[in-house]
Amino acid sequence: MPAFRIVGPVWAAVALSVAALSASAAENNKVTLQNKIAQCQGCHGIEGWKTAFPEVYQVPKLGGQKAAYIVSALKEYKSGARDFGTMRAMAADLSDDDMKQLAEYFSGQGGGVSAQAEPQKAPQK
Amino acid sequence: MISATAMKQILLAAVLGASVSALAASGDPEAGAKKSAPCAACHGAKGISVSPDFPNLAGQNEDYLVASLRHYRDGQRKNPIMEPQAKALKEDRDILDLAAYFASQSGLYVKN
Repeated sequence: MPAFRIVGPVWAAVALSVAALSASAAENNKVTLQNKIAQCQGCHGIEGWKTAFPEVYQVPKLGGQKAAYIVSALKEYKSGARDFGTMRAMAADLSDDDMKQLAEYFSGQGGGVSAQAEPQKAPQK
Repeated sequence: MISATAMKQILLAAVLGASVSALAASGDPEAGAKKSAPCAACHGAKGISVSPDFPNLAGQNEDYLVASLRHYRDGQRKNPIMEPQAKALKEDRDILDLAAYFASQSGLYVKN
């Protein structure tokens, strides 16, 4: 029966896929964060990058910014309280945990809310 | 066809126009320092804020700071603390000077 010859390998492949998926869940989270960081860097990682619409000015520097402020800004963009189309779209898909992780990455502050007493030396003007 | 003379005049006008707008958009950091006392109460004397909830301003892009203050002043960006602060700035010149002052400090950076 040709059907059995096909069904057997198909189930084996499905089982293998499921195993591979759960084994790499942690790795996926890491990749997801890196992808979200990459989305931010498309604008904020480029020196002198400017908004295009409706006003033209340089996007803010995020390196060394307060983590709690970054989280509150992202929440305001997501809710629409702070109205800027590009950032509203970016923040729309972020969970609270994503926001916290991104804020920690850009602030350089572990734990998310620790105060930073000393200014960091800017690597470039 | 545009004559060479006409082209020169157009170019000259463009260069002059660009210079004038560059002048108009630049603030004076020293004047800004003198106006910055109310800002320092929350954002710190050196632009590094006193609370995790308030953003650092030191080294932030000048034109972003200008845009932010204008948005607060005009009610486009809502914040119960910053709206009255920005409305208290009587002239656009004040916004330009403050932005120039905080942008001249060392602090924030482009992380990449």
